[in-house]
Amino acid sequence: MSGAAALLYGNRAADDIALAATPLDTAAGDTVVIEDVEILYVLYEMSMASALERLPASLHPSVPALFGFTFMRAPGGPLGAFTIAWHGIACRTGIKPRHLVQGAFCNSTQAGDFFASRYGFACRSAEVGLRETFDRVRGHVEVDGTTLIDVAITESLPLVGAGALIKYSPPLNGTTLAGGPALVQFEAGYDFKRVLRGRPRLAAFAAAELGDAGLAPTHPIAGSHAVVDLHLMPARFQVDLVTPAEAGGARKIAR
Amino acid sequence: MKFGLFYELSTPRPFTTENQRAVIENAIEQTVLADELGFSSVWCVEHHFLEEYSHSSCPDMFLTAVARATRNIRVGFGIGTCVPAMHSPIRWAEKAAFLDLLSNGRVEFGTGRSSTWNELGGFNAVVDDTKRTWDEYCRVIPKMWTEERFSYEGTYFSMPERCVLPKPMQDPHPPLWVAVTAPGTEFDAADRGMGALILSIADVERNVPRIQEYRERIKRCEPVGAFVNDQVAIANWMYCHPDDAFAKQRGEELIATFGYMAGQTVEVSEAYPANNYSALGLLGSLRPDPNAPGEAKKPPASGLCFGDPDALVETISRWQAAGADHLIFMVQAREHLPQADVLESMRLFAREVMPHFSDSGRKVAVGA
Repeated sequence: MSGAAALLYGNRAADDIALAATPLDTAAGDTVVIEDVEILYVLYEMSMASALERLPASLHPSVPALFGFTFMRAPGGPLGAFTIAWHGIACRTGIKPRHLVQGAFCNSTQAGDFFASRYGFACRSAEVGLRETFDRVRGHVEVDGTTLIDVAITESLPLVGAGALIKYSPPLNGTTLAGGPALVQFEAGYDFKRVLRGRPRLAAFAAAELGDAGLAPTHPIAGSHAVVDLHLMPARFQVDLVTPAEAGGARKIAR
Repeated sequence: MKFGLFYELSTPRPFTTENQRAVIENAIEQTVLADELGFSSVWCVEHHFLEEYSHSSCPDMFLTAVARATRNIRVGFGIGTCVPAMHSPIRWAEKAAFLDLLSNGRVEFGTGRSSTWNELGGFNAVVDDTKRTWDEYCRVIPKMWTEERFSYEGTYFSMPERCVLPKPMQDPHPPLWVAVTAPGTEFDAADRGMGALILSIADVERNVPRIQEYRERIKRCEPVGAFVNDQVAIANWMYCHPDDAFAKQRGEELIATFGYMAGQTVEVSEAYPANNYSALGLLGSLRPDPNAPGEAKKPPASGLCFGDPDALVETISRWQAAGADHLIFMVQAREHLPQADVLESMRLFAREVMPHFSDSGRKVAVGA
């Protein structure tokens, strides 16, 4: 296997990483608490070559390369009722697992603006759904009548105790900070009330319509469906886009 | 207190023949020197698909090479994975017994179940069952060694009557160990009368209650083997140099190198939520601080053996007071240190540290 890189990190040009149009509000805001939020989190493997093509040099991939779907449905609360969804590629900055977001959708302008200004999510307006039925928990995204993502978990089993503390990898979004490009980390806390783990089922993943025809989840790993009290805290960490991963890492956002 | 070496066989990219061979040959050279210096044991992990972090997919083969190049040092599986998708318990019984004969009765048999998605997912293993399969393996392997003919009808493993061969040289069989990473696994070790191979490196003081609880529980154990292996071994790091600050700097470099490699792997708990993998494994526990940015790094654990001889005597004395029987050292990470420096560190350790621990001879096994 000669010829491999001396270190394993992304090779996408920094200026090729999409940056959110909405300016990031770096003011230290209050933590927003939303009760009884449903979260569907589904992981697949993906090809390493595909992951490396999409990560900047400031991020290591995970080994194996992973692809994740996240859906959050809030029944109400400070941001009103909304469902948001994003998908991303697992990565590392230094030592902490994170996901580099490749696309995001929201069915609420109010919530979409909040996630954009606080965490850099560039949400497309879409019909986003998360629904639990008798045999599955399904998340889907539709734009103009076209289904872009349709993912579910089936054959679900309850998780208890410490096993029910799902370790969500915080997403990173491309944004502009202090006049320069950066990645900003979603900052949330979770009080778990109920957790199921199930087998992933991917009914639709319209890669081309999602803007990246080469993006492809491959081997299913697992998915979870949780009901939590969600704590949306001010963003704390940013990651440089150009500093090589081995010399970079996360640092606190200057306020 | 006894001292050993612990090998992951971490390998730098690119994975050329030269790089891969250098890692293995350097490690064997270190074990030969360790044998001459009076270290008591060499342990080798079993890992699969862990790029850079560990290329040690065949510990039995590495340990065989070590055994044939040395005379006295004991050779330990650290650990053999007790997961059906990877191994049959028959194969573990055979391999360990065969190595016991080849090594003239020097085998230590460690058991475990893997903690990464890289490995369990790669073998398409049933993640939810690993604790139970490990338990079943621990109970049948000693019987395959001690019973002339063995048959078994179990939950995850069954076999008709056969004579599992060869039988080990040690009478009644090699000592049994359990890799202890998640809190509470030391109880599993104690309840089964097995040695605790503690792989969650931490401050000495944090391990005191674990060791005390292990000692209490093993008094009431129901041994799965033919004897009780009441021993605690702690995996650790070691770099010894006359300049204490220089040694500690080298140590930080080793930990950082290890963290870089470990950070890229995927822990089971990160990918596949499961009731039997609620805690981080060794890889996660060794990460400096997953929740802190660079400016708030956690200081290194107090029990790490980086320093001059005086500093190491002080640290090891605290491990001894805590109740540890063995310290098993990693001395290299991804070939970060020159081989000559690793060998000189070992020589200095043997010359100026080991004599302070008068029982640091090489007889590890209890009941062997």
